[in-house]
Amino acid sequence: MILRFVPGTAEDAVQALRERLEGAGLRVLRSPEEARPILAVAGKVPKELAAELRAQSEVAEMVQPTGELLLVARAMRELPSVVDVGGVRIGGGEVVVIAGPCSVEGRELVLEVARKVKDCGAHILRGGAFKPRTSPYAFQGFGVEGLRQLKDAGEAVGLPVVSEIMDASDVPAFLEHGIDCLQIGARNMQNFTLLKAVARANRPVLLKRGLAATAEEWLYAAEYLFEGGCEQVILCERGIRTFEKATRNTLDLTVLPLLREWSHVPVIVDPAHAAGIARIIPPLARASIAAGADGVAVEVHLNPAEARSDAAQALLPQELLGIVSDARILAAVTGRRLHPPRADQDARSR
Amino acid sequence: MNPETRHQLRSLDRALLALLDERARLLASLAAEDPGRAAAVDDMLRRHEGPFPAEGIAEVFGAIDRHSAEFSSERRDRG
Repeated sequence: MILRFVPGTAEDAVQALRERLEGAGLRVLRSPEEARPILAVAGKVPKELAAELRAQSEVAEMVQPTGELLLVARAMRELPSVVDVGGVRIGGGEVVVIAGPCSVEGRELVLEVARKVKDCGAHILRGGAFKPRTSPYAFQGFGVEGLRQLKDAGEAVGLPVVSEIMDASDVPAFLEHGIDCLQIGARNMQNFTLLKAVARANRPVLLKRGLAATAEEWLYAAEYLFEGGCEQVILCERGIRTFEKATRNTLDLTVLPLLREWSHVPVIVDPAHAAGIARIIPPLARASIAAGADGVAVEVHLNPAEARSDAAQALLPQELLGIVSDARILAAVTGRRLHPPRADQDARSR
Repeated sequence: MNPETRHQLRSLDRALLALLDERARLLASLAAEDPGRAAAVDDMLRRHEGPFPAEGIAEVFGAIDRHSAEFSSERRDRG
């Protein structure tokens, strides 16, 4: 249950109610919302206590969210939350584009791609250093050296970086190398040990939807992050497994407006992993932004045929440019705007 | 004019305004002018097949360019 107080309620009144709930053996969590106090109560509130709460003049609203989704619930914030990834704000009416190679394939290559994606107007550089591959014989990534190369490329062009973490023991390496946003991949969405460890890292987290996860299960994974202390979470829809074989996965855009109703957490879309076919990514990116996504994430390679992973879904830089141009138009006509480039960083990238 | 048609026209007007604002923001973020602008507009006019009169389009783009130049120079003056 979520208790939304009347704006301006005195702190001692909030505290008194909190103590009353905790005294009844309930766990109480506080929203960081500043516009009004908001408390979330984990566990079942007895009928008598619920009636008592309802009678309190300071309690403006009592909201029963879906299941035990509390910290991610829409009612926990006045406005949708905004996540800051190295100075790039995700959510809150601005649309971002995340782009880069599927895998970091070497210092020069990642730097060259970084320059291109920056010039095309992308806001965040992505690149895999630890690769979860279906086949154990496929390229597994350069590991820590890949993180170093990615971060160096990002710094050279002035873009924050995001990379996937697969193992809790790698958290220190991600922090040491200044990875601005830690990605939890689809296969690890319900790796609760990893979620808890990443939550403690005090970095923004990009949480991909599991390939067979319902929207509710996905939000529970985000709840783990929030409960563990991470308030900077971005959801990423990347397609789910269905009976359709024509594409790698099926892009589920139906969740976008639903997530807006259920949660305050920003949502981006990765149309590349959903489609698995480069040529159909641009229309899916457009559809994602039109449906309300806070951004899109795509893979870019200078020579897609030679990409060491996910070659079929890698875009050329000029295709990324088309996506950024479309994102600008669609953001504007849907009452939002493309995140602006930073002038100081433009200069550094030349 | 029925209310539904009027609603659609208002939506298009809002979209046009949003796009003009977005164009201004993009222009403002650049240090340099767009050197190929005149040729690009000429090319668009040549290819244009829609019902909006060509001279009207030329006027609209001319107005956008004039106001964008004023807007950019004001921004530069403000430093």
